[in-house]
Amino acid sequence: MTKSFLIILCVLLAVSFSACSNSVATPYENEEFAMGTIIRQRIYHDNAEDISRQVIDRIRKIEDRMTINKAGGEINKLNSSAGKSFVELSEDTLFVLNKAKEISELSQGAFDITVGALVKEWDISSGNSVVPSQERIHSLLGLVDYADIIIDKSGSRAKLENTGQIVDLGGIAKGFAGDEAIKVYRENGVQSAFISLGGNIVALGGKPDGNSWKIGIRDPRGAEDSYIGIVSVKDKAIVSSGDYERFFERDGVRYHHILDPKTGYPADSGLIGTTIISDFSIDADALSTAAFVLGLEKGMDLIKKFDGVEAVFITDDKKVYITEGLKGIFEFEGTGNGYEYVEKG
Amino acid sequence: MGMNMLKKGDAILIGVFAVVIVISLISMSIFKNSGENAHKIAVIKMNDRVIKKIDLDTVTEPMEIEVSGAYNEVILVEKGRIRFKEADCPDKLCVKFGWLSEKGDMAACIPNNALIKIEGSDKKVDAVTN
Repeated sequence: MTKSFLIILCVLLAVSFSACSNSVATPYENEEFAMGTIIRQRIYHDNAEDISRQVIDRIRKIEDRMTINKAGGEINKLNSSAGKSFVELSEDTLFVLNKAKEISELSQGAFDITVGALVKEWDISSGNSVVPSQERIHSLLGLVDYADIIIDKSGSRAKLENTGQIVDLGGIAKGFAGDEAIKVYRENGVQSAFISLGGNIVALGGKPDGNSWKIGIRDPRGAEDSYIGIVSVKDKAIVSSGDYERFFERDGVRYHHILDPKTGYPADSGLIGTTIISDFSIDADALSTAAFVLGLEKGMDLIKKFDGVEAVFITDDKKVYITEGLKGIFEFEGTGNGYEYVEKG
Repeated sequence: MGMNMLKKGDAILIGVFAVVIVISLISMSIFKNSGENAHKIAVIKMNDRVIKKIDLDTVTEPMEIEVSGAYNEVILVEKGRIRFKEADCPDKLCVKFGWLSEKGDMAACIPNNALIKIEGSDKKVDAVTN
C-alpha cells in the first residue's frame, strides 16, 4: 500500500509540474504608420496578427476618405465643391460630419471643423514658423461656421455653403477610427486589447487577468511618455489635447495647433492640456479639443452636459483638475513634475 | 500487508519520476527568471518592416546604422541604449527624442517611416496619451 501510494504521489507531482505552463498570456504588439502618426496595437487573441492587419486596413481606408493632406478622398471633394454643389458621401464621412456638427452645437462653436482655411494658413506642421497677419486671419474668420455644413440626409450628400470654406477633420478623424478599430476587435471575438492612434487611446475590455488598463495622462511639459496621472479603465477611450503636440515659438510666444474658431488664433484659455475619458473615442477626440478651447470653467460645464464623460484639465500654472466621476480611478502622479492636484469643493 | 521491499523495477520508476520533477522545477525557474532578466532587444523598423534587431546588452563598441527612406538617417547604438543620431527630415523630432534605454521606449521619424523601439515593457502604465 505504501509503495503504490509513493508511485501515485510521484506521478501526480510529475504531471502537475510538467503541465505547469506560463499562465500569463502573451499579447501581440505592433506599430504601423497611418493617419500621419503611429498606430500601436496590443491584442490578446490567437489570431491577433491577422486582426491587427484588418484594423490597419480599415484605418487606411478611413484616412483615404477623410484626409486633406493627400489627394483623393471625399473631404477633398467636399472642399473643392464649396459654394458650388452637393457631394455624395459614404456613411463613414456623413457620420463624422454629423457628429462634428453635434459637438459644435453643444460647445457653441468651440469645436468647429470648418477651421480648415485657418489651419491651412497657420500651416503649423510644415515647420514654417510664420504668424499670419491680423488682416489675413480676420478675412479667413468669415469662412468659419459649422452651420455652413449642409447635410442632405435623404440624399446622403453634403455641401459647404461658401466658396473657400474648408473642412478639416484633424480633430475628429482619429476618434472615429479608434471606435472602428474596436468594432473590428469585437467582430473577431477579442476581449482584451487596446489601440493607440498617435496617443488617442481606446481600450477594449480590461487586461486578461481582469485588471483595468493603466493609462498615463501625458505631462504637457514633460518628455514623451511622461505623465501627471494614471487612469484605470476598462472599455474606455482616453484622448488628450494640448499645446505641446504641434507648435512653434516666435519671440517667446508659443503658437500651438488648436485654433480658437472665434479668434482665428491658437486657443488662449489658460489650459496646457485636456484629457477626456469616454465610451467612444470620437466623442473624446472632439471634446478634448472643445474643452481646451473653452478653458477650465466653461470646459467643465461642457463635459457635465455628457453622461459618462469625464475629464482632466491642466492649467498653465500647472494645476490639475478632474471631474467628479474620475475620483477613485485617477491617481495623481504629478508632484515630482511640479504639478498641483486641486480638489474642487 | 506491511512494507513490501522495493523491487529494482519500482526503484527505477520512482527514479524516473524524480528526475522529471527535478527537470520541471529547474526549467520553470529558468523560464521565470528569463522574463525578468531578459536582455533589452532594440528593433529598427522601416516602412512597417523589421530590418534589424539588436541585443543592446551585448553591444561592446558604439555602432552607427544608416537608414534611407524618403530621408537619410543615422541610428546610434551603444551598450544598453539606442537613438536617432542624425536625420535630414524637416523637423528632426526623431533626433530630439534622445536616447531610448528602457523596455517599451520608442522613437519614430514619421516622414521617413522609420521607427526604433526596445521590446517589452516594464512600465507602470500600459500606454500614455499624447
